[in-house]
Amino acid sequence: MSNKIDSAISRREFARRAAFASAAASLAPSSLLPPESVAAPWLTQQPANAPKLSPESQAEVESRIQSIFAQYGKRLSDAQKADIRRLATEAQPPLDRLRAFATNNGDGPGLYLKPLMEREKKPSPMPVTPKRANPPKNS
Amino acid sequence: MPGEEIFYLSVSELAKRVEAKKLSPVDLTQVYLDRSQKLGPRFNAYAVLTPEIALEQAKAAEKEIQRGHYRGPLHGIPYAAKDLLAVKGLPTTWGAKPYANQIFDYNATVIEHLNRVGAVMIGKASMIELAGGMGYRFASASLQGETKNPWDTTCWTCGSSSGSGAIVAAGLAAFAIGTETWGSIICPSAFCGVSGLRPTYGRVSRYGAMALAPSMDKIGPMARSAEDCARIFAAIAGHDPKDRGTVPIDKGAFTYSPSMELRARPLKIGWLTNAWKSLEPGVAKPVEAATKILKKYFSSLKDVALPVGPWEDAGNIIVAVEGAASFRSLIRSGRVSELTDPLGQIAGYVNEQYSAADYLQALKVREIIQKKMDSLFETFDVIAAAAQPVPATPLTLNLETDLAFPDPLGGIGNICGLPAMSVPCGFTDKNLPVGLQFVGRAGDDFAVIQAGRTFQLHTDWHKKHPKIH
Repeated sequence: MSNKIDSAISRREFARRAAFASAAASLAPSSLLPPESVAAPWLTQQPANAPKLSPESQAEVESRIQSIFAQYGKRLSDAQKADIRRLATEAQPPLDRLRAFATNNGDGPGLYLKPLMEREKKPSPMPVTPKRANPPKNS
Repeated sequence: MPGEEIFYLSVSELAKRVEAKKLSPVDLTQVYLDRSQKLGPRFNAYAVLTPEIALEQAKAAEKEIQRGHYRGPLHGIPYAAKDLLAVKGLPTTWGAKPYANQIFDYNATVIEHLNRVGAVMIGKASMIELAGGMGYRFASASLQGETKNPWDTTCWTCGSSSGSGAIVAAGLAAFAIGTETWGSIICPSAFCGVSGLRPTYGRVSRYGAMALAPSMDKIGPMARSAEDCARIFAAIAGHDPKDRGTVPIDKGAFTYSPSMELRARPLKIGWLTNAWKSLEPGVAKPVEAATKILKKYFSSLKDVALPVGPWEDAGNIIVAVEGAASFRSLIRSGRVSELTDPLGQIAGYVNEQYSAADYLQALKVREIIQKKMDSLFETFDVIAAAAQPVPATPLTLNLETDLAFPDPLGGIGNICGLPAMSVPCGFTDKNLPVGLQFVGRAGDDFAVIQAGRTFQLHTDWHKKHPKIH
C-alpha cells in the first residue's frame, strides 16, 4: 500500500497494538523446559527483519518465548510458535523504550482505586435493647 | 410510507417529524427494519436484527407520543447497538465464536438509558471479535465475517465498531452505539463518512459492556452529525454506581440543546503538526481544504505539536495487560484458538506475560502525559488533525504487515481518556470518505462537539451518503 510508513514507535491498527504487546516477566529456567523443545527450529530461528536487540533484551525475549512454549507449547503448531517468536521479538523495543523513560519516585501511576466505602452499604440496625451478657458458666 | 430520503435524515430532523406526529415511529422502524433485512447482509453489518423488540418499542413510543407524552429527541428513533452490549435475553456474542451462545439476563446501562428515552433498538451491530482485544490480522476477524464499507464494498469499515459504522453509513438505522479502547469509534467513523464521538473516559457507564481494557474502554455514539452525537451522548452519559469507572454525578451528566452554541465560548483550536507522519495524497487534499474552513471560522487556529514520548508504548502495554486479564480464562483454556483470526489465536499468550512492574511503569507514563496534555489545553480548547492518514483499506489487506504507522494522537487520547470526535471532511479521488478529528480536554466533551458542529454548519460533507441500490 502506498501509505505504508516506517514505524519506529508502534502500529496504528488497534489489533496490531494488542497483538504486539508482549512480555517481560516469567523467566522459565531452561532446565524446566521439555528437552525436545530446545532443538526445535522455531525456538532458535530469528524472524526476518527482526529488530536489533541488546544481549540483555534478546535474552529476555528468549526467556519469554520459552516460558510460553513451556506452558502452552503442546497446543501450538510450528507456524504459531514461529509467529509467537516474531511477536515477542518485535514487542521488545517498545518495552525497552518505556523502561528507559525517566520517571521520578514521586510519579504516581495513573490508576486510581476508589475505596469501597461503607456509604454504599445500608447501616446495620441498632438493637433496641442491649442483649444481656450470658452469665459465666463456671463461676 | 416515507421515501428513500428518510434513511439519511439526522436524528434531529427525524425527531422534529416524530414530535409533530408527521412521522410514525412504527412506520419509521418498519422501513428501517425492511432496509436492514435487505441490505444488512450485503455489508455484514448486523450480528442480529431484533424486529420483535423494535416493533414493540416503536408501538409503545407511538402510543405515548399520540397521548402527548414526548420523551425527547430519541423517542421513537431506531438505532443499533454494538454486539458487546448486554441486552436481556438476546445473544451477546462479542463478535467471537467462543461467546456465540452467550446470553445475559440484564441490560447494559447504555441500553437502559436508551430505553428510558424511548429509542428503538432494531438490532445488534457486528464487530471485530472481542473488539480486537486479542489482536487481529484481517478484516474478517469477526463471527459475522468482514464488514464491508457501504461506500465501496471491496473496502473495510475499520474496526472494531465495524457494523456500527456500516449501519449509519448505509442508512440502516438513524444512529448506532460504538465503543473505543483505541481507535474503534474514530477510525470506523472516518472510514465510513459518519460522525462519531468518543466521550471522556468515565462519562458513559460500561456496565453490561464487554470489558477489554477497563482503564481505557469507552462507549459513544456514531451518527449523521455532531449535533446528533450530542443528543445521543446526552441520553447515555452520567454516573453509574454499577460502573465504578464512571466520573462523579456532578461531572458525568451532559445536557445539550442547540441554543447552548449561542452562548458558547469562541474555541481556540490547535492544528497538530505531528499527529501523522504523512497523509496519503487522497486524504491530504480534503484535509487541507478542511483546515481552510477551520481558519475561516476559528481565527485563533495555530499550529501545535504533541509532546514526544513513549505514550503509544505505554498504551500498548496497558491494553495488552488488561486485555490478557479480561480474557484470561479464554487464553488459559485454549478456547482462544476458536477465534477467527490467526493473530487473535496466539497474541494472548504473549500479552499475558507482562510484568506488573512494566504495567505500573506504563501507568506512571500515563500520569505524565496526562499532565502534559492538561498544560497544552491551557492554550487550546481543542486540537485537530486528520482522523486517519489513509482512507478505507481493501478488505483483503493484511493489517499487520501492510497498514503500519505511528498514531501518537490515538495513543495519547486514549490513555488519557480525552474526548474526541471525527466528522466527515471530504472524499478521496476514489470517492472514499475522509475524516477530521477534534480532541479536547478531559471532561470538555462539549468543546469537541462544538468544534464538529461548527465545522458542519459550514460544510455539507456529513450530508453525503453512498449510492446504494
